[in-house]
Amino acid sequence: MLIDCNSYVGHWPFRQLRGNTCRGLLERMETYGVDMTVVSNLNGIFYKNTQHANQELHDEINSDKRFAKQIIPFAVINPVYSGWQTDFETCRTKLGMKGIRLHPIHHRYELDHPNCIELVRMARDYNLPVAMSLRMVDARTSSWLDVEKEWSLRDIIPILKEVPDARFLVLNVANSTALSDEELQIFRNTNLIMDTSGRNMNDLGQMLSQFGQEKFAFGTHAPLLDSRTGLLRIEALRDQEADTKTKNLLRFGNIKRFLKL
Amino acid sequence: MTSSITRRKFVTSSAAIIGCTGLVNLNYRNRSNPNSVENEDLMEEVLRYEKIDAHAHVGLNALTPTDIIDIADRLGIGTLMISKPMKPGSLGSPEEFIACNNEVHNAVKAFPGRFIGMLTLNPTYPKESMQEIKRCTDLGMVGMKLYNHVKINDPLFDPVIEKFIDLKMVILMHSPIGKSRVVLDAREPPNVSLPEDFVDAARKYPEAMFQFAHIGGGIDWEDACKALQHSPNVYVDVSGSNNEGGMIDFALRYIGEDRLLFGCDYSFYQSVGGMIAADLSESQRKKLFFENYQAILKKSGNHVN
Repeated sequence: MLIDCNSYVGHWPFRQLRGNTCRGLLERMETYGVDMTVVSNLNGIFYKNTQHANQELHDEINSDKRFAKQIIPFAVINPVYSGWQTDFETCRTKLGMKGIRLHPIHHRYELDHPNCIELVRMARDYNLPVAMSLRMVDARTSSWLDVEKEWSLRDIIPILKEVPDARFLVLNVANSTALSDEELQIFRNTNLIMDTSGRNMNDLGQMLSQFGQEKFAFGTHAPLLDSRTGLLRIEALRDQEADTKTKNLLRFGNIKRFLKL
Repeated sequence: MTSSITRRKFVTSSAAIIGCTGLVNLNYRNRSNPNSVENEDLMEEVLRYEKIDAHAHVGLNALTPTDIIDIADRLGIGTLMISKPMKPGSLGSPEEFIACNNEVHNAVKAFPGRFIGMLTLNPTYPKESMQEIKRCTDLGMVGMKLYNHVKINDPLFDPVIEKFIDLKMVILMHSPIGKSRVVLDAREPPNVSLPEDFVDAARKYPEAMFQFAHIGGGIDWEDACKALQHSPNVYVDVSGSNNEGGMIDFALRYIGEDRLLFGCDYSFYQSVGGMIAADLSESQRKKLFFENYQAILKKSGNHVN
């Protein structure tokens, strides 16, 4: 079994994407033997009113029975845009969203913004995971119209501290993973999973030792990134770094437990 | 991709056919998508291709030559073209480039048959540079890697390029990051070589072989490929940490299957993963992973056995 915990539909305004629909995603999953995928709509980054993007994703998933079986939708919620509490409620109760997705860099708020903290607490109370990406694309190559800021792993600590009993999915770990002992302890003590798509996952064997094998899961960040590198980092681990049981945790076991599938 | 059966089912049935017929070299590719692979077989697929890493280094980060060989072994990279260019912003003195080249030579001595050395120099020092070319090629180095001390189309480079035409060796030059932001990344000095500088140098010296570095290394790869589309003597390597989906597919359209080179520039997983994910035919994969660079090496008689 294989579960991709980081994938998208929708458009990226500065670059043409392929396979960025539910149909395209399902074809890719079939090609590579991926059984289930966590998906959010990229349009939710760029629409001022993110709820349109959530509705789009919901409608697309409901257009084909196969989609609903294999696609796990996450709602993009912007907690500094009016009506976000209602959006959250609608996504949870009517649109079948299984988690929420934050985009603080693009939506221009900090993780310790009171509304963000309130949103994450709401997610915790309704047992929904909270996903966020350290970056969406490489700022070096993106457009002059795009944001330049990227996060390192340390930058998400404020929200981990504010709502330590929430569940967090940390995606595209592309920048520094350097942490003090105290910060590392926060990561260890939080119900948190990092996906394997980011470029700083290159020494995954060492990271398993540092953070714990339960902290990682296969993710692609596709179609923004390629569809194979996230899995290659797992499959290329030597037996002494990860035996078959551990690899299965990374392929599907950890995320299945985390998402309560 | 309109396959009506899953990859898993296809693999299972294909394996049975292979077992019955004894055609052990038949691979399990789906005809509707020749690149599709069941996930359990990803490493088998990766290791099936002979590879030359057209853009490798030693001494630029914490990875030792032994570490590099360890990663290369995991991913089936048999040969790595290693270099150590001088630090950006450094004086680029002869003492500096000689020291860099000595480090490369030591790594090659430690792993003969796995590393092939590429020299570096600074054409601001013409006499010392020509002496260094002689010294390093005598040591067995093949090709040259340059950073951003002098633009590739600066007349200072002319005698070096002419020497490399005689040697029939490739000139690998760094490419800039941040061009799509209009203003280059602050780390790039003003004399970094832009794609249009490569076009200029390649036009002036059509017999020379140039290698445009790492389209996954932080440049706007669409811009770079479009700029280099009509420069037949500029090879393009797909190395770099930015393994954006569709990058190699796009490069194939603009650069073509004969001028694209597999390379890693330390980003081993992204570069191999990106190649395996790209929509390439079997023969295109072989060309990019190995044959194109082998053809470059063959011109100087230094090809891999």
